[in-house]
Amino acid sequence: MADQDLPLRVLNLGTIPYAEAFDLQKKLVEDVACGASANTLLVCQHPAVITYGRRCSHAHILVPKEEIIRRGIELYQTDRGGDVTYHGPGQAVFYPIFDLKKLGQDLHHYMRMLEEAIVTPLREHFGLNAYRKKGLTGVWVGPYKVGFIGIAVKKWVAYHGMSLNVGVDPASFSLIRPCGLDVKVASINDFFSDEVRLETICDMIVQRMAHVFQLEATGGSRQW
Amino acid sequence: MVKVYLPELGEGITKATISYWYVEEGATVTEGSELVEVSTDKATFNVPAPCSGSLKGITAHEGDVVEIGSLLAVIEEDTVTEPGEEEAEGA
Repeated sequence: MADQDLPLRVLNLGTIPYAEAFDLQKKLVEDVACGASANTLLVCQHPAVITYGRRCSHAHILVPKEEIIRRGIELYQTDRGGDVTYHGPGQAVFYPIFDLKKLGQDLHHYMRMLEEAIVTPLREHFGLNAYRKKGLTGVWVGPYKVGFIGIAVKKWVAYHGMSLNVGVDPASFSLIRPCGLDVKVASINDFFSDEVRLETICDMIVQRMAHVFQLEATGGSRQW
Repeated sequence: MVKVYLPELGEGITKATISYWYVEEGATVTEGSELVEVSTDKATFNVPAPCSGSLKGITAHEGDVVEIGSLLAVIEEDTVTEPGEEEAEGA
C-alpha cells in the first residue's frame, strides 16, 4: 500500500542523449535508495538510438551496425529488461526512479501500473482503443504496439521505464524486431488527422502516474 | 559461509533467468555491492551481496532459468578479528 503523501518530483529534460539520461538515472537510483531524493520521474525525448538489453538476440537488429551508424542512429547496450527497442524524435520517454519498497516490491505489478498510466489517458482523453495484452508487456491500440516498457531494479529502486510513440518516423522501427516480436508499431498521431502535441500527452501521463502510484507531483514544465 | 538465494520478486513470479554475474568466482565482494543480475519478463533485478567476503561458489550460471528461492552462490564471509582477540586466544 503506497503512502498517500509521498512526493513525486517531475523533471522534464527535453531532448537529451540516451547515455546522459542513463547516467542521471543511475545517480538518482543511489539518491532515492538512501532517501536523499524523493521518487523522481524523468520525462524526455532522445536523439535516435537503438538500445538493447544484455540478453537481447542480435538477430533482432535487422541491419548491419555500420548501416545504423550511417543513418545517424546510435547503438547502446543497456541494463534494462527486454530485448531491442528504438528511441527517437517524436517519442515520449518516461523514467520513473521509484522506491519499490514503498510501492509493493512486485516487479510485474509495477509494470502493469506503468501500462495503466499510458492506457487510461489514451482511452479517456483521446478515445483510442488502447489496451494491454495478457502475457505481453506494453500498450497496444488496435493491432499496433504504441507503448514500450523495460525496467531495471537495484536496491529495490526501479529505473528505466516506458516510452510512447506520439509521432515517430515508422521507418525507424523497421531496423529492428521490437522487443524481439513480430509486431506492427504505430504512433498516436497515426490515428488522428490533427497532430496531438507530445507535451499534451506527457502532461496527462505524468498526472496519471501520480494518481496510479498515489504520489503528489511537483515540478515545472519545460518547452520541448 | 553465507548462501545467496533468488529473492521473491512479486506475486506470480516463480522463475527468473540469470542474466549477468558482476563478479567471478573467487573474487572479493563487499556487502551491498552488485552481485548478479536476473531477469523476468521486461525487468532486470540486481541481487546484492548479503555480506563482504569471497565468492566461493556460483551454482546458477548465465542463461540458467532458476526458481524463486534457489541457491545462486555461496560467499565465504570476511572474519573480523577483534582487537586483542589473537593474544587472548594464544594465551
